[in-house]
Amino acid sequence: MFAKEMVKQSLPLFILCGLGAVFAGSTFAGMTSIFQEIPGLIVVIPAIIALRGNISTAFGSRLGSAYHLGVIDAENLWNEELRQNIMGSLVLSFLVSIIVGVLAYVTSLLLNVQPDPVKLITIVLLAGIISGVILTLLTIIIIYLVFRRGYDPDNITGPALATFGDIVTMFCIFGSAVLMEAIL
Amino acid sequence: MIYSWKNIVKHNLPLLTICIFIEIFAGQILQGKQEMLVLFPVFLVSIPVINGVSGNIGSVLGARLASGLHVGYISLSIKDKEMHDNLLTSILMGFITYFVLAILIYFIALLGDLQMGIGLIEFVIVVLGTGLLLVCVISLVSVVTAFWSFKKGLDPDDMVAPVVTTVGDTLGIVFLFLLIGVVGIW
Repeated sequence: MFAKEMVKQSLPLFILCGLGAVFAGSTFAGMTSIFQEIPGLIVVIPAIIALRGNISTAFGSRLGSAYHLGVIDAENLWNEELRQNIMGSLVLSFLVSIIVGVLAYVTSLLLNVQPDPVKLITIVLLAGIISGVILTLLTIIIIYLVFRRGYDPDNITGPALATFGDIVTMFCIFGSAVLMEAIL
Repeated sequence: MIYSWKNIVKHNLPLLTICIFIEIFAGQILQGKQEMLVLFPVFLVSIPVINGVSGNIGSVLGARLASGLHVGYISLSIKDKEMHDNLLTSILMGFITYFVLAILIYFIALLGDLQMGIGLIEFVIVVLGTGLLLVCVISLVSVVTAFWSFKKGLDPDDMVAPVVTTVGDTLGIVFLFLLIGVVGIW
């Protein structure tokens, strides 16, 4: 009976990650006035959270495989394999953020909402890159701690990065929106 | 060297772009319902929770099915008993998780002095109803994706997580507004 151990090991993690998501949600709820000031901004929220989650969990899971393949460990962390992975994640964050901004703008136009394209795309790009840098650093720290303690990174990085990713990304969108609203 | 940044970008960009298209659709629903969300910000708090929980449950289920298929204790049959156990356990865990979190969110929002406009019972019915509907659909999507990709010779470990999180984010928002309509809040 494998299903029983699933409840024992996963249920506490699900509830804990759910509580983490409440933080992300509270930031979301705190943004209502800025959503009204910047039309189109609320459109990018699910996309940018998903892009962050997909890029950083894939990054974490590649580092997990790299560990199992023996090309990376606690003593030999900062090497060319890691640098290529970091570069790949950041380039993806940059490209996909642009796609998110443009798509949000175009679909809004089709639905008769008129966002400011420069403002919208700048906010998404800024939030995408800043959260990308923070999450990359966080992934390296988590991976380092996991290696040091001898855990299997595959069991830890997925849920940990998904939860931290949501919170960090919401803060970054909030921060970028406030900043751009002040500047532009 | 195993990794090059160009290959990482090349392998990830197509699937990510498809996911983004679907997520933008979810975002447009939020924009359409913005007026209502401003009046009931407690639902904004709930959206990342509703989506996150189903994504986690679906991903864990998919990873477990993938391991079972790889090792061989789960067979590619819709009658497989082990698969049924995993599926039902996931739905049961979804029920418990959404129930606990719905109550917690309500009281956290009260403590945080958020404008509520809705009672505890109504709120729990909406979140639990959304969550239960979502976790049933997501668990089925997870089984279908895992079985289908394994049959096609693809690694279910690579496929299930992006599919399940994207479908979960979009349907989570659709089901939430469906339940809000059914309960008659808006």
